[in-house]
Amino acid sequence: MVASPSIIDELRENHSRALSQIRDDFQRVMDGPAAVAQQTALIDESAKRLWSRFISNNDHRSHPIALIAIGGYGRSMLFPHSDIDLLFLHEGEWSDKDARDKIRRFSQEMWDLKLRLSPQTRTLSDCDRVDPNNLEFTISLLDCRYLAGDEELFNRLRRSVVPRLIMRENQLIMQKLAEVTNARHSRFGNTIFHLEPNIKESPGGLRDCNLVHWLLLLSGIEKLREWPEPQSLISPAIREQFSRALDYLISVRCFLHYRHGRDDNTLTWEAQAEAAGYRVGIKQQERMAPEEWMRLYFRHARSIQRVAIQLLQEIPASRSSLYREFQNWRSRLSNSNFSVVNGFILLQQPGAAKDPDLLLNMFRFMAEHGLRLGTSTEQRIEQASANLAGKMPKGAKLWKHFREVLLQPHAADALRAMHFLGLLNLFLPELASIDSLVIRDYYHRFTVDEHSFRTIENLHRLRHPQSEWEIRFGELFGELEHPELLLLALLLHDVGKGMPGNDHVKASLQAAWQCLERLELAPAERDTVYFLIANHLEISATLRKDIFDHATIEMFAEKVGTPERLKMLCLLTYADIKSVNPEALSPWKAENIWQLYIAATNQLNRNVDQHTVSTHAQDEQIACLKAMAPGLAQKLEAFLEGFPARYLKTHSSEEVISHVGMANGLADDAIQLDLKKGQHWFELTVVTPDRPGLFAKIAGVLSSWRMNIVKANAFCNNAGVIVDTFYFTDRFRTLELNLPERERFKRNISDALAGELDVDRLIRERSYAGRDTPAKVKVETQIEFDNDSSPHSTLVQVIAPDRTGLLYNISSTFAHHGCNIEIALIDTEGQMVIDVFYLRAGGKKLGRTKQEQLRQELLEILSSP
Amino acid sequence: MTKVEAVIQTSKLDAVKTALQEIGVEGMTVIEVRGHGRQKGHTEFYRGREYTVDLLPKIKMEMVLPDDLVEKAVQAISSAARTGKIGDGKIFLSRIDDAVRIRNDERGETAL
Repeated sequence: MVASPSIIDELRENHSRALSQIRDDFQRVMDGPAAVAQQTALIDESAKRLWSRFISNNDHRSHPIALIAIGGYGRSMLFPHSDIDLLFLHEGEWSDKDARDKIRRFSQEMWDLKLRLSPQTRTLSDCDRVDPNNLEFTISLLDCRYLAGDEELFNRLRRSVVPRLIMRENQLIMQKLAEVTNARHSRFGNTIFHLEPNIKESPGGLRDCNLVHWLLLLSGIEKLREWPEPQSLISPAIREQFSRALDYLISVRCFLHYRHGRDDNTLTWEAQAEAAGYRVGIKQQERMAPEEWMRLYFRHARSIQRVAIQLLQEIPASRSSLYREFQNWRSRLSNSNFSVVNGFILLQQPGAAKDPDLLLNMFRFMAEHGLRLGTSTEQRIEQASANLAGKMPKGAKLWKHFREVLLQPHAADALRAMHFLGLLNLFLPELASIDSLVIRDYYHRFTVDEHSFRTIENLHRLRHPQSEWEIRFGELFGELEHPELLLLALLLHDVGKGMPGNDHVKASLQAAWQCLERLELAPAERDTVYFLIANHLEISATLRKDIFDHATIEMFAEKVGTPERLKMLCLLTYADIKSVNPEALSPWKAENIWQLYIAATNQLNRNVDQHTVSTHAQDEQIACLKAMAPGLAQKLEAFLEGFPARYLKTHSSEEVISHVGMANGLADDAIQLDLKKGQHWFELTVVTPDRPGLFAKIAGVLSSWRMNIVKANAFCNNAGVIVDTFYFTDRFRTLELNLPERERFKRNISDALAGELDVDRLIRERSYAGRDTPAKVKVETQIEFDNDSSPHSTLVQVIAPDRTGLLYNISSTFAHHGCNIEIALIDTEGQMVIDVFYLRAGGKKLGRTKQEQLRQELLEILSSP
Repeated sequence: MTKVEAVIQTSKLDAVKTALQEIGVEGMTVIEVRGHGRQKGHTEFYRGREYTVDLLPKIKMEMVLPDDLVEKAVQAISSAARTGKIGDGKIFLSRIDDAVRIRNDERGETAL
């Protein structure tokens, strides 16, 4: 049967007119669901009319064939420029050339209607198997819908073949679907927060909506052994949210198709601005700023992503028994407050969601073990969240909880979960300003909040380095004394972008200061976080200069001040750039950051004595100290004069005031000691007039008590008063468990410094049989002398494997050769000590002969156990 | 038409960009590169290990210009990038047969 040209022309004209009408209707009211329904109905009508023109009933009888809509067309969801997925279903071999010609001409006419046909021809038996390389076809059958032709053939497909296939191959289909989806999510960075998302393919987009639909159908057919209503398998609350999100996305996709004139689903900045202007997907009449409109997009995408991920996680993995064992092990993490089932956390107690302390512990647990919250847990928290605001822990207690979350390896995921549930804004209201915030620039790929979470994620990833750069930066991360301060700084560093004004750094600082006060961080901790936020662009700015020029390094090092802050700033820069977009941290950039870091470290360690405190200069820190202790102003000046500037950078204002007090006490007692127990170690401060062998004696007494010296600083002022600070761990908990021993320990130090105690003999008498733990990493001993960096002293850098008594051995060797330690910077990183000494002998730098003598003796001592 | 390729110090990028914009150069490509001429590499010691950078970080700028703008561009780049020390960089000029604007198939100098 051949359709006459006039009928075809009429069909084309009507089709074209109807398409224009659909477009006009959409542009008037921006109703996407209505547009796709109309589009589908129009194509249905055209297809059926053409089918009846080309294929007669006789044709059906001789060669049963059905015209079936599949895929998106089968779901009755045709977008303006979507492909039209058609299945020509037949049975057995098809030898009739005439029948095939008619199908071909039918398809031709559909193409001539400017419809992008995606036709497939299959037999029933073809549909009854899964091709792992063409899962798409099997999935498209889930949405099969009869259009024309042999209805009985279609019914056999839908009622028999497809359900049977699913019941037989459900696991394979679901696992393949999960693999494909995970790969797609991974291509988009596993986040919905893209600045220009692809609303079809991105996580939380239309593909994920389809995924939810398919997973529900698959599990429904498996359970019920018949076609279910997918909506019946999803809870009403989530169904409503999901449905709203889907309608919104449908409207946005229609808008994009009409705007771009093709199947382009990228929500570019320009498209965002237009969509906001046209109020696409929203009912309100007031104009909406593009940023606000995008927040709405992210909210909907979150709803979809949440359901999709939940359903994906419920698919049993096709993994080995080893993986199943791992999953079982995770179940053993359950405790009285929460249980862990299949990697999801479920709250045990009915009132648990109303207990903020318990919730914070739960997030810490989540961050530690990399778990997810179960749907019921999320719902309970959401229901309870309105009442949580007034019950949240405050001040130091909140910081204690929050700190524990930040330090865990999966902190970023826990923060995202808290953010999603609205809890993060209760703890840190400063973050509300950057919630789903789109900032338009050509570098950032993610919203500001997601960028901040990624910085934390990228730092924790350094624990498992994959590249040479990650190894180097990972070592720095492992050496930090207070990584939680860096992580907090990263969380807050860009909050200013959501506040009015052009200077986001300034705005971030203001917000951070309020936050730090509220969390009751110690003043030194606040200073560090504040410094990091204030200078978070400093390394990037310095990289635009000549980093091999000494003046550049000097200026940068001066600004940073201490090696610890330098490490933190370097890591902050690493994480910040790496989180802009996956390509941002190029090897070129990473190399330059590293070069700047090591040059600045050397500058900080080798030029300590070139910048001394001068109380005559205008200095904010000195002014602050005087303000803290106005009665001590003159004594403060006398005390500080001549100390290296590093002294002020390594001690808090409170510590400096305390040292001034100790210095004042020298008239009564020439040896002033202060012993404190800190969070990680003990801290011993000695203030006394300088004399030969002082440093060695202190180190010796510590060694005799089997204390492990982790860090030490030694400084001397113009008045010849030294402030030596030793940070050590009490390996056998002698001082920790026996308070009276602390006084005996201090007496030993005093007596040693007063010359009333022979330190060598003390060490010999207290030589324990126990040895140090064998080194896991081989550290080669290196001794380097530098007579150029300092104008006053010879620098000696000693790198060696750590062991008890090492510092005593080194410093007593110096003393034995008549060398005075002007400055000491002692550090231990893992099993390696890095000690830098500024030495003078007879008031001068060390000559070559002396250097060589020292080198030989040190090498001999350091190589013996 | 002439292609101008300039390898300069990283610290001079902003100055050279400004100088070129001032004489009317509207398009350029900037690439992060490494290299050296007679300028020696740089070595730092850190924790007993030697870190040597033989190929120093540089910036390469490329632009294709009408012939009548080339000399001005060369002068602008040289003045802005010069420090007088070894390592300032170099400028290379080469002839370009044709240029095509992808958006509308324009060819020749009008495509620049």
